[in-house]
Amino acid sequence: MVCERALQLFGLACVASVLQAGYENNNHVVIAPQDPVIEIGTNFTATCVIIDTAEVTADDLYWKLSQTVIPKELYTKINSSALNVTVLITNEKPEWLFCHSKKSSHYISMNNGRFIHGIWLKKSYRPESPKNLSCEALQEGKLISTTISCKWEAVGRHTEDAPRTYTAFLKMYIKDETLNVSTPKNSVQVNVGLYPNYFPLEFWVQSHTLLGTLESEHLIKEANCFVKTNPPLDVRAISEAGFPTSLLVNWTNPIDESYVKLKYKIRFCPIGSQIWSYVPPEDTINPTKPFRLQVLQPYTVYVIQVAAKPVGTKDEPDCGYWSNWSSNKTARTPEDRPSSPPDLWKTVDSNSHDVQLLCKDPEFANGNITAFNMRMKYSKNGNLEQERISVNADRGSNQKMASLLKKISLEGKEFVNVCVSAVNSAGKSPETCLAIKRNPNDREPTVKEINIWPRNGQLFVEWKHNSTCVFEYVIEWVGNGEMDWQRENKTTRQTAIKGALERFVCYKVSVYPIYRKDKGIGKPASKEAFLEQGAPLNGPSVKSESEYDHVILTWDETPQHLRRGFITNYTIFYENEEVIKSVTVPANTTSYKLESLMGNTHYDVWIQASTIAGSTNGSRHSFVTQKYAPRMVVGIVVGVSFGFLFLVLLAFLFCIYKKDVIKENLWPQIPNPSESTIGNWSPDYPLKAETPKENCVSGVYVLDEGMCEVKHGFEEDKTSLSLKKDKYLSEEHSSGIGGSSCMSSPRQSVSDSDEGADMADTTASTVQYSSVVASSGYKGQTPIEQPQHSIFSRSESTQPLLDSEENPDMLVQEGGRAFHSPFTRSAENQETADPGSFKQMEVDQQDFCPIDEDTEWTPSDSQSANVEPGSVSSYRPQLGGYRPQ
Amino acid sequence: MNGHVKKMHFQQFLETAAKLLYFLLLLAVDSKRSVAASRNHQCGKDLQMTLSLTKLVRKETAALTKEYIASQGEGFQQGFCKASVSGIPDPNISGLEPSERIASIYTQLQAFLSHLKHVQEQQGNLQPLKSPLLVDLSNVMERSKMLALRVKAFYSRLFPNLPLPEPAGGPTTLPPPQTIFQQKVYGCVVLTTYKKFLMNISICRERTTLKSKVCGTRRPKKCDDLL
Repeated sequence: MVCERALQLFGLACVASVLQAGYENNNHVVIAPQDPVIEIGTNFTATCVIIDTAEVTADDLYWKLSQTVIPKELYTKINSSALNVTVLITNEKPEWLFCHSKKSSHYISMNNGRFIHGIWLKKSYRPESPKNLSCEALQEGKLISTTISCKWEAVGRHTEDAPRTYTAFLKMYIKDETLNVSTPKNSVQVNVGLYPNYFPLEFWVQSHTLLGTLESEHLIKEANCFVKTNPPLDVRAISEAGFPTSLLVNWTNPIDESYVKLKYKIRFCPIGSQIWSYVPPEDTINPTKPFRLQVLQPYTVYVIQVAAKPVGTKDEPDCGYWSNWSSNKTARTPEDRPSSPPDLWKTVDSNSHDVQLLCKDPEFANGNITAFNMRMKYSKNGNLEQERISVNADRGSNQKMASLLKKISLEGKEFVNVCVSAVNSAGKSPETCLAIKRNPNDREPTVKEINIWPRNGQLFVEWKHNSTCVFEYVIEWVGNGEMDWQRENKTTRQTAIKGALERFVCYKVSVYPIYRKDKGIGKPASKEAFLEQGAPLNGPSVKSESEYDHVILTWDETPQHLRRGFITNYTIFYENEEVIKSVTVPANTTSYKLESLMGNTHYDVWIQASTIAGSTNGSRHSFVTQKYAPRMVVGIVVGVSFGFLFLVLLAFLFCIYKKDVIKENLWPQIPNPSESTIGNWSPDYPLKAETPKENCVSGVYVLDEGMCEVKHGFEEDKTSLSLKKDKYLSEEHSSGIGGSSCMSSPRQSVSDSDEGADMADTTASTVQYSSVVASSGYKGQTPIEQPQHSIFSRSESTQPLLDSEENPDMLVQEGGRAFHSPFTRSAENQETADPGSFKQMEVDQQDFCPIDEDTEWTPSDSQSANVEPGSVSSYRPQLGGYRPQ
Repeated sequence: MNGHVKKMHFQQFLETAAKLLYFLLLLAVDSKRSVAASRNHQCGKDLQMTLSLTKLVRKETAALTKEYIASQGEGFQQGFCKASVSGIPDPNISGLEPSERIASIYTQLQAFLSHLKHVQEQQGNLQPLKSPLLVDLSNVMERSKMLALRVKAFYSRLFPNLPLPEPAGGPTTLPPPQTIFQQKVYGCVVLTTYKKFLMNISICRERTTLKSKVCGTRRPKKCDDLL
């Protein structure tokens, strides 16, 4: 500890003495060291020394790093004239470190600049040794290039302000010369002149930073071990007749072997395949040319490539770089006889037992199949039919397709045994057989639990089958109108379909067991599957039969080719102006009854077909629900009918129960004139006896009028109410007497236009009343003496009817003063009232004179008593209202 | 501690010393064997590199000779290259011992380099500036220098205490001024003779002799194994 302190003081003394010399006339504070380069991430210690002044002491000093005052905790006071600071350098940017004096005095103020000193802190990282050095000399023409490209892996960090640089060295032993190139990058190109084949080259790199230099390991190799030649030239592949499994490969060296001795590597693959086969390296280190490729497939086009690399030595077995592969060279191996049997299969028309025999070329056809030799036998002891079926040898890429061999019929036959061999120019293949039975074997257990799923663009099939007699399985798939198959061995229970399947197509996949015995075909298991499902191309079109509150929707099942997947469900959407609703129905549904609809409402409906991959809407269909439901119409009709019946019934009951009232109203009782006491009214009135003859003469004419009068008389009776109360009644009281009553003369009727007028005025001014009264017409008659003659007098008086006329009942009740009308409805009167009586009445009428204007009608006492005094004056004489008669 | 115990300790000491001595002897023998093997291996490697380079120079010289004849004009025939020209080094390697033969190779290489340089100068006047012949001639000269350096290095490594002798007749004597045709014939004869010299280095007998006698390895089964 003491020793360290002593050393520090000694160093400080040295620094101070040096600084004193340099800054004698300048600064009173000086920082040491003066021009430091600091490793980033380390602590840096600087000392501020006070020189040649007693104005300040170490206590008056402080440090600033750039613009930041360094905390006092980082200071170390050496003595009264020296102050240390230690800071951790983390920032990569170079910056200033200042030593200031905080004391103020006149001298310091005058010489402020001499009490500040700063140093520029350069920062850097330590250099690190470059790694993974490598050099490469490319072939250029017939020689190796004069330029060697070398590169290395940069290790460590550097800053923008203190970048790292490299110096690459290449020592050429031939000249005992070392070339060097400086670069900031991690690669360099060195020109070596004529390439020094068979001489060693040594390469190394120095990495420089402000903090020093570090050298990499040296890469020493024979110069040819830096060479990368061009690929071999003019690669040739030759097929030799009689050697169907080999090809001769030859090539030209890219560079003369006197420059670089090369080894080669050869790779090949059947055309179209991406999997290369490599010739073992030991076979091509010193290859004899031409090199024979062996164990190839006959009649197969191979692609061949060759690459070269300098041969190494025992010391340096890995020497140089592999050239790029040569361009593709293709050649076909010669034909050989087919080494595997053809692939025989069948399709059966289920309706007509017709069988189509199909055959694919053998897997190892080893040439162009030109024909198939077929043998058929329909029974165990039957004749053997042989046939040679030629096929087009130039089928090219269609050789994988099945050829239709023959159509045969199993009608009337139990089975057929077919054996087929394929023939090419080199010979014929082994035979394959198939036993096709009309009815598949039921004794063997069937294939079950077939399961199909897509994965990685393939369809995988899995099945279960417990049979020990199986020879193999045939996986058959039918879709898009095409059929294909593949064979699997007896132990397989899961496989991928190897055919080119299309997306969105439904395939029916069947697994057929082929039994050992006679190669018989067992019962298959089938299932449909998609390689990839999509949303249906079209949604179903919907039809509707709408009712009042429901509609029956029907649609056709989406056609198979438009489904593009398994329909999971249909969703029925229907909307009116207010809301959209939906109903989901199963996929097997093709009709649905939508209920709870509103009547007389327009609906749009469409159906969405869904698969697991998406949904597609069908076309929209509109319908309007009916205004009334059928039962509503029935209800209305029934209700109306019942209502009508009820009314009729009511009317009928009314008629029954109010029979008397109706009778009274329709057929009023007419007072019997015979019971009238009119003869007692006025002795002044001349009694004029009419001769029957006169009566008869005038009776013809009067009869009509009399009939009218009768009619009116009925009406009067029906409405024998007070005129004061009812205009209608006043009209009823208007009489047709005088030949006009039946003519409905306006002068004889109450005008309907006077509804709003005062009743009294109306009657006084416009209405003429005629009443049948037993008045002056009967004056002087004696009812007793002439009971058979009806006395009918007519009055032109405007006087209102008497009470006795209005209420004939009252008249009857009045006893002796009452008179009997010849028109009474009593049977007696009706029977006794002969036509002569009517004639008499007409005669009376003819003689009936209008009452003069000034005629004073004097009623009887009783009558006068019923007449209100005021009513007399209210009726004016109506002279003008009647025609002169 | 009695005498018996002392005797036991002494016997143990002797056994240990004997083992140590045996181990040191084994180490020395093995070291000598491995040093020799290493030296032979390096020698064989150097010889192989030298012979490969010789083959390369020979190949380039052969190609250069053809190109030279083709570049001398239509009337220039290959037969002119067989003419006898004085002062051209002997293509045969002299000496009996390997050191002598290697030294002979080196000195003759130096002599041929002087003649090649003279031919280069002459052809520089006869051929266009950027003639491929001049480029190839320059390459052969450069490569021949490399070969000379390699032979010298090989000799120095094999015979570090035997300095390479200077040419017997002193510096190489170049031909006097010649006509253009004489220059052409001279150049062709130099190249042809140089090719023969290189052939003589590369012949199987020379190579096998060097390999067996100099580097102490077994004779290779085939001459190509050397290259």
